[in-house]
Amino acid sequence: MTNPEIGVLMLGIFIVIILLGYPIAFTLIALAVGFGYYAMGDTVFPLLVQRTYGVMSNDVLISVPLFLFMGYIVERSNILERLFYTLQVAAKNIPASLAVAALATCAMFATATGIVGAVVTLMGLLAFPVMLKSGYDVKLSAGVITAGGCLGILIPPSIMLILYGATAGVSVVKLYAGALFPGFMLAGLYMIYVIGRTLINPKLAPKLPKEQTDVPFKKVFFMLMTSFFPLAFMIAAVLGAILFGLATPSEAAALGALGAIGLAFAYGRLNFTMMKESVFLTARTSAMVCWLFVGSWSFSSVFSILGGHEVVEHWFAAMQLSPIQFLILAQLIIFLLGWPLEWSEIIIIFVPIFLPLVKFYGIDPLFFGILVALNIQTSFLTPPMAMAAYYLKGIAPPNVSLTQIFAGCLPFVFMVIIAMVLLYTFPGIALWLPNVLY
Amino acid sequence: MQRFLLAIDSISVWVGKGFAWAVLLLTLTTSYDVFMRYVFRDPTAWGYDAAYILYGTLFIMAGAYTLSRNGHVRGDVLYRFMPVRWQAGIDLSLYFLFFFPAVIALMYAGFDFAKLSWIMKERSAASPDGPPLYHFKTLIPIAGFFLFLQGIAETIRCIIGVRTGQWPPRLHDVEELEKQILEEAREGKSGSEILGEMGIRDAEEVKK
Repeated sequence: MTNPEIGVLMLGIFIVIILLGYPIAFTLIALAVGFGYYAMGDTVFPLLVQRTYGVMSNDVLISVPLFLFMGYIVERSNILERLFYTLQVAAKNIPASLAVAALATCAMFATATGIVGAVVTLMGLLAFPVMLKSGYDVKLSAGVITAGGCLGILIPPSIMLILYGATAGVSVVKLYAGALFPGFMLAGLYMIYVIGRTLINPKLAPKLPKEQTDVPFKKVFFMLMTSFFPLAFMIAAVLGAILFGLATPSEAAALGALGAIGLAFAYGRLNFTMMKESVFLTARTSAMVCWLFVGSWSFSSVFSILGGHEVVEHWFAAMQLSPIQFLILAQLIIFLLGWPLEWSEIIIIFVPIFLPLVKFYGIDPLFFGILVALNIQTSFLTPPMAMAAYYLKGIAPPNVSLTQIFAGCLPFVFMVIIAMVLLYTFPGIALWLPNVLY
Repeated sequence: MQRFLLAIDSISVWVGKGFAWAVLLLTLTTSYDVFMRYVFRDPTAWGYDAAYILYGTLFIMAGAYTLSRNGHVRGDVLYRFMPVRWQAGIDLSLYFLFFFPAVIALMYAGFDFAKLSWIMKERSAASPDGPPLYHFKTLIPIAGFFLFLQGIAETIRCIIGVRTGQWPPRLHDVEELEKQILEEAREGKSGSEILGEMGIRDAEEVKK
């Protein structure tokens, strides 16, 4: 066998082992060591340790534990409850007010925490029963909670874009600037969908009885000031500091974490237990993500030394795709990868394989990254592997079936696809802000 | 045997949790650095180095702790549905075929890497009078050692799993919120009970 063929073998074994379910980080390191030893003998050891140290001293990834920490603190500070009740009364005059409030709460809380599962389960307990009790359509309510909960990995400051930036060598600042409008656009499309369907068929989301929404303006204002604005201010400050170049993403993340601690204190929820829990969970999740990087960077070094990248490029070159065909194919593959894999694995392991091709076809890696970020939304929502749907099913009342939840997710998957088509047709949605700012 | 397993777990957990606090330190030092820069126009010289050293220390030393919680991500589409004996059998063979060679390579390579750094008395080049880096680099073989140790415990768990068809228990620890919530829901608790335990009022109470 020639070296490139060995490289393909390495990729093949890797895929088989993934399917067997062995921890991916160690699979990657082991394959890198084994195949690297074959390709270059003892030199593989310094290579491995250099890649490990490369992850340890990477100044982009510093923000990963910090944003996680901020997320875990916000998650435990009880802001969700206040946020939802406030937005619920604030949105009372809008059609489908509960659904719109739930969407807005999900989007905002998810943006601050970045943890899909937590948002979906918490909102599933808090907002879902309220919506059902008010006579809202089960499918519509389920779709709102699941789709809304996933927005946090797209709308900056999201961890996914940091991982993409570290993988693709694209500036995280530019990625944040690029993802801002597409993120708002998707959230907006969700709202338009919900309001639109309710206008066509008001039975889906009956108007709330007057006494439930009859809150004096002063009270609403006070509620907004104590729940919505502090969190909105925190997110805006973190994001603004990054976008206007006042602080690096990791510095802004540190300030965000400090702000989250302050917020938890203000709500009387700061105590040693929640601090401990947040610290330990941060350590575990950071270790999971960063060891995946150690594995992936070692693996892809050996893969490219063996010449595996060229083989993949030849395959694609032989297909004679136009850039747009390539783009569609790549997004389709990532869409399919979303079934067996989680987004962190797709970004850290498979994006490096696509990147040389992205450059080959003359596509801006920044633009590609935003498309991928949108695309990954679907991996949480598309049956049969839709994680968000399973989270909701786990806590929903027993008479809500998984099929109903799946059916509720699907329209939102179409909204994501519409968003991707819009983004492709008008790349300015993503590229305008980074171009203006930098 | 169970005591031996839990003893190894506690070592990994203790090390991991100890270093986990680096994130709080990282939050505070980085915020202090920004504060000094904007308020006093006097940025610290050590801010940049301190940040990546704290971050790197955090994740590399939490590797074994994460392993002890079965927290390293798996592609579990098929794995999830396999009987325990299969899971344990696959894991067992791959611990020997993949995990130990990988971790031993990391220890071996990391040792040489750290030794060289100690000999050179290497310091960071990112700032004048940069902090020494040899302690930081020594963490690679040390992290490898703790992973190796935890790997032994995991291997024994697999052997027990293959034999008995059941996974031996792990130490209790904090879990992701969604896991906690789903677990409580499975135990039959109602939504408002779960929310209540977290100190969140449900809709009925708020109305009152």
